[in-house]
Amino acid sequence: MSRRSRKAVARSAGGDRTLTTILGLVLVAASVLVLLVGYGVFGANRAQRPVIDPIAVLWVVTHASATRWIAIGVGVLLFVIGLWWTLRSLRPEPRPDVSLSELPGERLTVEHAAICDAVRHDAETINGVSRARVRLVGNPEKPALRIALTLVEGTDVRDVWAELDGRVLARAREAFAVSALPTAVRLELDASSAPTPARVE
Amino acid sequence: MRLLLRVLAPLFGLLLAVVGLALLVETVTAWIAPASSPLVVPWPAWRTAVEGLTWQSGSVRATAIAVGVIGLFVLVLGLVARRHDVFLADPVPEVTVTTSPRSLARAVGHEVRSHDDVVSASVVASSSKITVKAATLDPAEGVREAVRERVAEMLVRLPLARRPRVSVSVTTTKGVK
Repeated sequence: MSRRSRKAVARSAGGDRTLTTILGLVLVAASVLVLLVGYGVFGANRAQRPVIDPIAVLWVVTHASATRWIAIGVGVLLFVIGLWWTLRSLRPEPRPDVSLSELPGERLTVEHAAICDAVRHDAETINGVSRARVRLVGNPEKPALRIALTLVEGTDVRDVWAELDGRVLARAREAFAVSALPTAVRLELDASSAPTPARVE
Repeated sequence: MRLLLRVLAPLFGLLLAVVGLALLVETVTAWIAPASSPLVVPWPAWRTAVEGLTWQSGSVRATAIAVGVIGLFVLVLGLVARRHDVFLADPVPEVTVTTSPRSLARAVGHEVRSHDDVVSASVVASSSKITVKAATLDPAEGVREAVRERVAEMLVRLPLARRPRVSVSVTTTKGVK
């Protein structure tokens, strides 16, 4: 299974999941630590000490400058991580235009919408496909196709594949002048029992 | 869960940023202009509230438990928000084909309901297991075999990357045939 075509199946939520998991772990660890201290696991004496411990307060007072810089450092770190995370997860998935030629003077790029419309029209002529949605993902140098096909009931998936690869993707590869175009196909099986409506040109 | 993660993740990020910014602003204010010290966050008031509490105090424990519960929810959210795509065998290299569990269940459901003796059926599918519950007016055992065969036949036609286990249960309901 190609890694790039697999990556094109859907937008990854890996970053969000990792950060959320880490945040959850930190919260749980803090809570468990406080409870353990409170129940005297680290000594009954420690459990009876005030939360704002005089020893800690003394350290802060004698090392005022160090405490300030630590607090500022932690603050900046949290702010930067938080802001980066927010922007990262709010940013829409890019729709790359494809550059066919980077030569100076004859730079040629094809717009995302043009490619997708062409592939969609092609895909919708496949027997048994009632609807197709197409978009490009990835970056302009290494684009990948994401195609969602809605199949009518009783369509043989293998026939659709053969036509998709032999005709639709072959044309797309030819247009991009590449030997392989990573593609993720999402099938919606048996979405409606109605046969493919007659196509009016 | 994936939708919830999509909604909550930016909020978590924003929350972190706000906490970091508050810490930064309060520290710098207390340093440079102590006169106007609690600028936004009333931290001296918090300090007097916490003063006198020990690690054993009930309110400290309650807060820790509340934070733990929230943390557990956040942790579980991060762990379970994965995709449940059903992968089909790759027709050619560089092409990955998937379908949704719902779509697979719908296809299996059509197949099961097309059997003459089945009056109703419900199907739950994932990439590892397909569960079919069907009702019939005839003796259940014969219909069960027929339904199982039908589903197996359908899975042969649908080239899934990994053949799911199929469990079929058929009950006989009362009614006029």
